[in-house]
Amino acid sequence: MATAVRLGTRVDAGLLVGCVVLSLVATALPEKDREPIAGALRRTVVAPLVGLQRGAERWRIAWVSNEQRQLAADSVAMRAINSEALRTENEHLRKAIGLGSRLQWGFVPAEALHNTTPNEAIVTTLTLTAGSSAGIQQYSPVVAPEGLVGTIYKADPSMSIAELYTHPDFRASAMSADGQASGIVFPHSDPGTGSEAYMLELRGVSTRIMLKPNTVIFTSGLGGTFPRGITIGTVVSEIKTNEVWTRTYLVRPAVMPSRVTTVLVLTAQRDTQGTGNIWGGAAVNGDSAARRIAAAGDSLARHAAQLEAEARKAALDSVRLATIDSVQRAIGIARTTPTPELDTAAQRRVRDSLRADSLRKTRRP
Amino acid sequence: MNWTGAVRTIIVCAILIVLHYTLRPLLAWRASIDFLVVALLLGSVRLRPGAAAVYGFILGLVSDSLGVSAFGAAALGMSVVGFSASWLKAVFFADNLALNGFFLFLAKWLFDIISSLVSHRAHGAELAMQLFVWSPLSAAVTAVAGVIALSLLKPLMEVRTA
Repeated sequence: MATAVRLGTRVDAGLLVGCVVLSLVATALPEKDREPIAGALRRTVVAPLVGLQRGAERWRIAWVSNEQRQLAADSVAMRAINSEALRTENEHLRKAIGLGSRLQWGFVPAEALHNTTPNEAIVTTLTLTAGSSAGIQQYSPVVAPEGLVGTIYKADPSMSIAELYTHPDFRASAMSADGQASGIVFPHSDPGTGSEAYMLELRGVSTRIMLKPNTVIFTSGLGGTFPRGITIGTVVSEIKTNEVWTRTYLVRPAVMPSRVTTVLVLTAQRDTQGTGNIWGGAAVNGDSAARRIAAAGDSLARHAAQLEAEARKAALDSVRLATIDSVQRAIGIARTTPTPELDTAAQRRVRDSLRADSLRKTRRP
Repeated sequence: MNWTGAVRTIIVCAILIVLHYTLRPLLAWRASIDFLVVALLLGSVRLRPGAAAVYGFILGLVSDSLGVSAFGAAALGMSVVGFSASWLKAVFFADNLALNGFFLFLAKWLFDIISSLVSHRAHGAELAMQLFVWSPLSAAVTAVAGVIALSLLKPLMEVRTA
């Protein structure tokens, strides 16, 4: 028994030594002798394992490349979102610059910061980044390139708060583009959700006036808060009310408060002097054109009257001078200081008389 | 070890070897799991020391054949580790997962030390870094993975008696 154990131990030790020796020999083998053995193993016994490893590495590569592709796709999507935001901002700024260039003077540009009040169903106020030190006063009109935004509720030195047309206290006198329909714009008494939450009502329109959908509504300038001709919105439909003598219309505002990023605040002087045809109102356009035509007509009339007066004066002068000349000649008074025109006329008459005398002489036998 | 036990051991070792060539490349960790060492220890404790050394030598050759250099280093390390595990099988048979994990850790670290020293792949600080940072980390990961694998494969290893 002891012999068998001893033999087994020797065999084990021998196997270990053999393995160690073979391993060391394999380690010491040169590259050209080592590679055939490893290659033979790879092609035979280890071939399935090589296949497994290759498959696993492919999976890994696919996984990593998929992650990278996903990252690239995410970054592209993010870039697209950013570019869309930049494009929108650029468009807003271009419009604001365009409005500023059309207004030319009498406005204060400001950025509109949206108040984050989650309990507020609709946006009714905006914080503006310009204040009284820039010339903004309370009740100054706030406009955007699309149209009316609201009024200044409070003006601090460096910032101000704008009350939007969505505020329950907002009122604006309004008119249609042709100036025939007029009324007062209120916030819609029954606000809906989403884009319908910012609708307006045009109240007090005369019953005989029927406004068609998509009729553009402008500020009329009455009341002095807003200058004439700022776009408020477009008529959507008529609202049935209990009023008998007036009509009420639902108006879709031109400016969406959620999209307002840059506004212009009109100064008091500009508010007083008006904005002209900045927003393309036909009534304002027609009105100003009529004024221009009337002014042009007046100047023409004045010019014509002036010309007529001068002609009449010249004619009277000629008659007066001719009368004086003929009277003087009739009574034989020599002129001492004849006027050049009269002298010339007298000389012409003398020449004519001499010519007539000579003609008479030649005709006489 | 009867035939049933031998077949069960072969199946479990085959699963571990397959895991070594599938899960390890898929994870591609810097301190990777060495399922071959787990398979070596699992088989060695059921073999005589000499047979365990041969088993380790064969596993090492398989491992070396897929390497680009140091052919024979893994065979040497696994022969020594297999022989040692078989010689210490009384300790390793203890039904204690923590102890098994510790021996897995020691086996992997010893294997890494032998193969690193024999292969001459690193020198100086790099070798020290490999031996005292990455090898212990890899050994720890292997020990944890080995304990989990042994726990999962325990029902397959148990011999049922009617």
